[in-house]
Amino acid sequence: MKEDIQAVNQQNAFEKVVEFVDERVGLKTIQAKMLNEPIPGGSRWAYAFGSVLLFIFILQVVTGILLMFYYVPSTDHAYASTQYIIHEVDYGWFLLSYHFWGSSAMVVMVFAHMSQVFLWGAYKKPRELIWLVGLALFGIVMGFGFTGYLLPWDQRAYWATVVGVEIMDKTPLVGDFLARFLKGGPTPGQMTLSRFFVIHVMVLPAALAGLAGLHIFLFRKAGPAGPFRGTPEEIKAKTDYFFPRQIWKDIVAMATVFLIICSLAFIEPVVLLEQATPDPGDYHPEPEWYFLFLFQLLRLKIFGGQFGQFLGAIAIPGAFMAFLAALPFLDTKPERNIFKRPVALIGWTVIMVFILVFTVSAIINREFLH
Amino acid sequence: MQPKLTAKALCGDKEVGKISKVIVDPLSHEISDVVVRELNGQGAERQVPICQIQEVVNEEEIVLRCSPDEFVRFPLLERDQYVTVKEVEIAHLEDHLHVEPGEILVPLPRLEQGVPRRTFFTNMTHAIGTLIALPLVFPVLKYLMKPMFKPYDNAWFSVGNIKKVSKENVGFQFKFTRGFKEAFMPEQQIEKNIWVVKATPAVQKEVYGGNDRKFFDDKGEVIWVNKANSPYIGYSGKCPHLGCGYKWRKTKNFPDGVFLCPCHLSIYDEAGKVIDGPAPRPLDILPMQINASGEIKIIDIEYKAGVNNQIRLL
Repeated sequence: MKEDIQAVNQQNAFEKVVEFVDERVGLKTIQAKMLNEPIPGGSRWAYAFGSVLLFIFILQVVTGILLMFYYVPSTDHAYASTQYIIHEVDYGWFLLSYHFWGSSAMVVMVFAHMSQVFLWGAYKKPRELIWLVGLALFGIVMGFGFTGYLLPWDQRAYWATVVGVEIMDKTPLVGDFLARFLKGGPTPGQMTLSRFFVIHVMVLPAALAGLAGLHIFLFRKAGPAGPFRGTPEEIKAKTDYFFPRQIWKDIVAMATVFLIICSLAFIEPVVLLEQATPDPGDYHPEPEWYFLFLFQLLRLKIFGGQFGQFLGAIAIPGAFMAFLAALPFLDTKPERNIFKRPVALIGWTVIMVFILVFTVSAIINREFLH
Repeated sequence: MQPKLTAKALCGDKEVGKISKVIVDPLSHEISDVVVRELNGQGAERQVPICQIQEVVNEEEIVLRCSPDEFVRFPLLERDQYVTVKEVEIAHLEDHLHVEPGEILVPLPRLEQGVPRRTFFTNMTHAIGTLIALPLVFPVLKYLMKPMFKPYDNAWFSVGNIKKVSKENVGFQFKFTRGFKEAFMPEQQIEKNIWVVKATPAVQKEVYGGNDRKFFDDKGEVIWVNKANSPYIGYSGKCPHLGCGYKWRKTKNFPDGVFLCPCHLSIYDEAGKVIDGPAPRPLDILPMQINASGEIKIIDIEYKAGVNNQIRLL
């Protein structure tokens, strides 16, 4: 007891504050639990995607909040205020361009993260719910991209929204309601901008933060899946904790992604087109690059006509998402090694090739149109 | 039976110490070692593999396979090579650990003893919560749906003079500006465009099929009739595929010119008929009148894109 009192007396002021808080919050235990997470088979670069996504999201929140200091979500000021951010506000061009490229980075990382989990077979029992929440998060990221695209209120923004909402309109039963609900009327205007704005800056961030929390909670509950090869002894021999090796890999990956986004913001800063209006002029409407494959798909004649469009724009993407959601319940074999799951490997490759081919052909078509 | 912490460790008949800790394998969740604190000397802690336990006599006593002399050869516990389970997150460890000295119980407060209405209170909490939420559903829906449905605007807009349309069966674009009043916003001027074709009798026939085209308001009453033999045809600038703006273009395959939408590459001829691409229906014809001085007026009707039939939006 005496020794304890002496020890307390020897602490400096900072340590005393830490001690005070820790006694009431249990921070040290929380910190220890956070950092001492055993990673079966050891840390890997391939496990960095989730952390990088969290990092990108946090910076999107920060840059997004900063943009709102000047941005005005009204049809008569949205364009002007965005131009003001780009041309007048110090470093406004950089923050806006960072936010823009950050969104692309987010989509790329979501793709990488999902592919890694899929190839590692990490969606299988007992991690089905992590996978499902992850799919919802994927939908939210896409929603962010779609709603954020309208906010600058230039021609690019306007037409991507016109076409995007027309596509949603093709959903059976609820399509018309959904499209009118999003547009806030029969045609895009102030109500559309208001709705997209509030969805982009309030609804989706809250949903993403909550679901990402659930995602991580479920992940910690089930524990990391670890490598898909190796005997339990080998895996145990290579096991380490989240800190320091994995955190080191994560922070290096974050720094790399940060540098890439910054470089893109410098090399290709955001430039607005003409202010939005229902007359496209010489502008050829096109969605953001990660929707290009779907855009190109809808150019095919088999996806023409009312039914074809429903097939290409709603039924096939919807069925694909439903399939992904059902995946952990359909694929119940415990085998996780991707080289022993030929259907999964071929399926993944086919989808990647399909997306690549359609994206490239959309770009070739664009050159042709010009 | 599981030995308790503080159970005596015996070698033969001689007590050598008490179990002070157990070591768990994080992968299998099984106990791999017990740590025995020596009775003698400084009370050093020695790590004894689980296979060295010969017998668990009861919860209070275990017997080791070794003699008291051999016992001191077990390695000392290197404490800094371990963390406690409070400091590490191992999924489902608690489910497998049975080293607690049984369940730890605390008495219920006296007021909670024998309360029979727990389920009742649970249900009432849910019921009252629902009663708070329910009356909000309708107002919230109405609140959000306020701008979704609007009456049609059947006003005539002047878009330009017909003299511009010099050639037959060629698309000419007319840009016009119209006022657009939305909710609380001041009226804004928005730019739109339509396409006008001076149709030869053959094309007129293809468009109208010899019948006058009637246009209706939301009550189903006729607001305008385009005559079947009127030579000028006005098309809405909105592509009936997915709502982009199309152009009149001359291409390699169509040297005379066609309407081409750059979005999804729908192609229409001068009669508005789909000749290629994914569009589900022909271009939308607008109610149009031309006065003596050649001024073109239209009603700015918009139809839903992507469906086989015209469904009026605006």
